[in-house]
Amino acid sequence: MSLASLGGNLLGIVPLGDIVFYLNPLHLFLFVAILIFTFLIAISHTETQVEAEFGTLGDKKQSVGLKEFKARRFLSVICGIATAGAMITGDLYNFTLFMSLVGILNIGIISSVKQIGVLDSVFQYGLIAMMCSLPLFGGAAIVLGACGTVSLLAIQSMKPTAMMIFGAIMLFIGVCGESGIAPFFASKAEMFRTPGSPFLLIVHLSSLFIIIRAIEIVLIICT
Amino acid sequence: MFSLFVHEGEKMNKTKVASSILLVVSIIMILYALIFTPADWIVYAIAIIFIPFFILSLGLLTMAKPKNDEKEERIQEPFIGY
Amino acid sequence: MYNLMADILINVCIAFLAGSLLLGLHRKIMARVQSRPGPPIIQYLLHSLKFFFKESSFPKTVSKPFYLAIVVILCGIWVTAVIVTNVVYGSLLLIFGIYAVHKIVEHNSGSSSGSPYGKLSCVRAVYSAASELPLFGGSILVLYLTVHTMDIGQIISYQAAHGPLIFAAPLAALMFFVTIITKAPYSPFGITLGKDIISGFETEHFGFLRGFIMISESMCWYVLLWLFLTLFFGPLSIIGYVIGMIVITCITGLISATTPMLNPNHSVMSQMTITLIGVVGSIALMII
Repeated sequence: MSLASLGGNLLGIVPLGDIVFYLNPLHLFLFVAILIFTFLIAISHTETQVEAEFGTLGDKKQSVGLKEFKARRFLSVICGIATAGAMITGDLYNFTLFMSLVGILNIGIISSVKQIGVLDSVFQYGLIAMMCSLPLFGGAAIVLGACGTVSLLAIQSMKPTAMMIFGAIMLFIGVCGESGIAPFFASKAEMFRTPGSPFLLIVHLSSLFIIIRAIEIVLIICT
Repeated sequence: MFSLFVHEGEKMNKTKVASSILLVVSIIMILYALIFTPADWIVYAIAIIFIPFFILSLGLLTMAKPKNDEKEERIQEPFIGY
Repeated sequence: MYNLMADILINVCIAFLAGSLLLGLHRKIMARVQSRPGPPIIQYLLHSLKFFFKESSFPKTVSKPFYLAIVVILCGIWVTAVIVTNVVYGSLLLIFGIYAVHKIVEHNSGSSSGSPYGKLSCVRAVYSAASELPLFGGSILVLYLTVHTMDIGQIISYQAAHGPLIFAAPLAALMFFVTIITKAPYSPFGITLGKDIISGFETEHFGFLRGFIMISESMCWYVLLWLFLTLFFGPLSIIGYVIGMIVITCITGLISATTPMLNPNHSVMSQMTITLIGVVGSIALMII
């Protein structure tokens, strides 16, 4: 199915060797949105979570320490840039690379936290992300084998075959697991019970935006 | 004591000045897009960026300010100012 | 001569005013169903404007500048949605992206404040994103498989030639309608704004920030209703849109008044079940 029927008319192509970036209104919106969020994260301070203490009338304040803040901020900015790259890439393999990078960074951002419940959750997320790198890269490889190319601009005009559809489904399963969305990792929300609001934002935002892009890619391959 | 009030006054003034500048810039950009009808993508960008900034700057200018002696307890969390 | 900026400004004003009046009507219907007189229909609009003159303290513990920026972003995305739907008739995937950013706004406004209610709403926003996005996404996916395009303009032309899509893709219409119910105030699926967590992600956004959020939410309501009517009932006249929006608001008001708020697990599971039935059922209907 043509790109224009999915995201709007093609606005332009940036040929960067074999990493072909293409822009239509959907990609432009996602790209600009993620860059705005990444910029805001780079200049943000974290919040202080306030909760009542048991047994006294006092308050418990939890905030992010300086070392942890710097490490998590660095990882979040890189995560934002990786997601932005995934939004506009026209190359299937580059998309899978960006996806796996985002998965690793998501794990890194949360694992610098010192709360047991959160660390348990991110450990399980890490296991699922590792397992799902097989369908992720395997699916892209199957699509390459079935089409002879990883360029989405070329794939859009090809008639879908059974292997292409199978590869696309594998790829989608890989993306779902790597980004940790339900139903693969239903308790991802447990990772968000910690302070560090800008960093949690990029973990959630990167997953959502990559899923949107993955849906577009699967529809390009399958229809 | 006097320097504390001057500092608070400066901070309030800074917000007012910044909001006024933002309001004027938003109105100018929206009027520019209305009157000079530039290319479509410029109009979309101006609409998406400057309509929210217009409302934000309007809000920052119209919002009521607390009395100086109550200001500190209004921003403490948890808020038990009343 | 056609002036694009004037078109955009008029549509944004219509979205804000019509959305506010419809949400006021929603609240009135809820009240009347519950045997209360209820506030006047114009109350939502008056509240949105009133809040701009109230004192807006920014708590010391907030994450700057996200606390302020996220509210501006919410308005920006729904202005984008008004442009994509009413002005340009663009891609549905873009609306899906905007819906995703709305979930992000719920997430971040909750967590950026540092309040425990906001934090709970932030976590619930992640859970509900896992169920609401497939619901909305499933609806537009079934539409895509029926019409072979995500472009709103092309869907309108398709309906002009083949008749309303509510008959061709009824389960997609059901999924979209459940999405609208989710976005309604006091909805059974409204776990991020439930009263058990005070006001959820809006708890710590006082004063003009609350008014700002209300303006954006009124545009959201208008856009979703406009989209439902346009995608499933074909090109309509202005009277058609007015009647359609009032009818949908009355139905959602009745549903919100008579249903309790579901607990987060039940809300997520109900939405996922409806998505599964909708998508699998639609594909089955296409094959048979």
